[in-house]
Amino acid sequence: MTQMKSKTTPITSDYIDDPNYEKVHNPIFDSENISSFTLTEITDHKTDSGVLSQDSEFEIEDFAYSDDEFVYDDEENNETYDSMLSQPIKQITKKEMSEGSVPNLNYEVLTTQNIFKNMLSRLDHLQPVFNIPREDILLLMQHYDWNEERLLENWTERMDELLVEIGVSQKTSAVATSLEKKAENPDISGVKTKRGIAFKQSFECIICCEDKDTQTFSLECGHEYCIDCYRHYIENKLHNGNVITCMDCSLALKNIDIDTVMGHDSSKKLMASSIKSFIQKHNKNYKWCPYADCKCIIHLKDTSSLAEYTRLHFSPFVKCDAEHRFCFNCGFETHAPADCNVTNAWVKKAKKESENLNWVMSHTKECPKCGVNIEKDGGCNHMKCSSCKYEFCWICEGDWAPHGKSFYQCTLYTNDEKSKKKESEDLSKIMKKYTFYYRVFNEHEISAKLDWKLGQTIGSKVRALQEKMDVSWIEGQFLTDSIKILNEAVEDLSELLQIKDPEQIMKNKLEFYNKSGYVENRMYALMECGRDLLCKGICKPTD
Amino acid sequence: MSSKRISKELRDIERDPPTSCSAGPVGDDLYHWQASIMGPPDSPYAGGVFFLSIHFPTDYPFKPPKIAFTTKIYHPNINANGNICLDILKDQWSPALTLSKVLLSICSLLTDANPDDPLVPEIAHIYKTDRPKYEATAREWTKKYAV
Repeated sequence: MTQMKSKTTPITSDYIDDPNYEKVHNPIFDSENISSFTLTEITDHKTDSGVLSQDSEFEIEDFAYSDDEFVYDDEENNETYDSMLSQPIKQITKKEMSEGSVPNLNYEVLTTQNIFKNMLSRLDHLQPVFNIPREDILLLMQHYDWNEERLLENWTERMDELLVEIGVSQKTSAVATSLEKKAENPDISGVKTKRGIAFKQSFECIICCEDKDTQTFSLECGHEYCIDCYRHYIENKLHNGNVITCMDCSLALKNIDIDTVMGHDSSKKLMASSIKSFIQKHNKNYKWCPYADCKCIIHLKDTSSLAEYTRLHFSPFVKCDAEHRFCFNCGFETHAPADCNVTNAWVKKAKKESENLNWVMSHTKECPKCGVNIEKDGGCNHMKCSSCKYEFCWICEGDWAPHGKSFYQCTLYTNDEKSKKKESEDLSKIMKKYTFYYRVFNEHEISAKLDWKLGQTIGSKVRALQEKMDVSWIEGQFLTDSIKILNEAVEDLSELLQIKDPEQIMKNKLEFYNKSGYVENRMYALMECGRDLLCKGICKPTD
Repeated sequence: MSSKRISKELRDIERDPPTSCSAGPVGDDLYHWQASIMGPPDSPYAGGVFFLSIHFPTDYPFKPPKIAFTTKIYHPNINANGNICLDILKDQWSPALTLSKVLLSICSLLTDANPDDPLVPEIAHIYKTDRPKYEATAREWTKKYAV
């Protein structure tokens, strides 16, 4: 099946049958039929939007300004964009516009099938040059990303090598290259195996290691595997668009082989993905229609006119077969009278703002009293609004006063509608319950994270100080321990202060004095240390 | 299907172990293996024993096994997490490859690093500009972590 007559290859006929094809003209050979859109259409479009303002003069002045106003930076420089949005626009004369310096925008609307069809028709032209089967040329083209020139160049230089490299033909023993991975394979040295499917009894496939009566597939290299493994292998490879080779050597599977193994039409998938990667690589000339699920591709043959468009602050608007209009330059929907840079700047700004808003929405709660947005950055759930001083609970957003000592009450789910036990309500109740607990869970999780962060910062600050001051580890430990002891002492002291029995106070007087003296000494020591740090400039007051 | 293939590879490795490598499952899990590679004698890793963890995906052999060094190693194509940058573990994987072939490839990667396609650019830079320094550090790390 390797030899194929031109016009009747299954692939060709598949694409001719495609209903979409008839609509679109062959871009390479029917050049008179190319659906071209000219300046009139573009300018028509521009004045369309002008009608809204009832003042075409204003319209022109508004969207055009000259080059020396701005330096267009490719980088995402927000300041430049901001200034672009705020800067007054320099007038451009009507004369300049009417001089017709905006070139025609010749483009065509294609689909992957059309492009593939064009590629196939190129094969007819290439065949006399190559003098090898069409399927093989297709492999070469696919390997060279459909770049004919590069292929032809390499072809004239090293014909045979190329065929082996791409896996069209097997290397003969004379041309020994390192490409053969498995030289010792007994099948290769022996008789040439037939390409195609065979039926074997108790065949042991080395891929799945199963021993069964099965269909097998192999290329001329003789690397034979069961059909299930081959299918699995091809299925995995269909989507990246590269030439699929034998699992053990570089011999390539032709489209006909893929269809033989996978059932009809699978090679179409491979070709489509190959064309897709071709478009991705040639994104200067080819653009996908940005609308969701639209399969159209716009092909602009001459990109030199694009520079002229930019210079005059026009945007190259194109329209796909599904009537989707978009700008070829930036991919946004039509944005006249603004040019691409201004549009880009605006979209970026809007996005930034909305992100701010999103952040505020997801990270803050409004104060129940004054409505100011509050972010909780650590600590317990007892919140005090910094603006209206209202004290409330972060969990239930209610007044803090009734919480008092039992501030764990609001983390418990209360079922206050016991009387209304209707079945219809059960579902929404479950949902409500879930949401409630989820919220509580979320709040606690956030709190825990924040506190952990605080702990980390303190730790790192202590370490940084140690490093800066050249303090030894033991000294550092002493300082951290001091703080800990000080804290404990404060707790003890406050406990002593709560004693109400006068006799008990007298009894504990000594202890009290000891403790307070200790705390005082410690406090002075720490303050001394802090002052030293400040004096030496090792840390700033804000640290 | 993958378990059959993995069992066969295990049998093959046990019967005919590849030179300077060994591999086998960790516990009862056939899909999780541990392997060890002896540092090639003509490399700065000579004398070290490097351990690797291997996870077979469920659709093995159609997807490559996930292999990472668990022993620290100073190499331009292996990063601090032990991830290996090797083409046959990524897009050049073929179902016809076996674990022992992959381990041998990793061995040869230890002998001949590929500094032009580095995973750790810093090491690759030293490898290209100051080969003796690279070799000294690699030897030092081998001595420290792999002996």
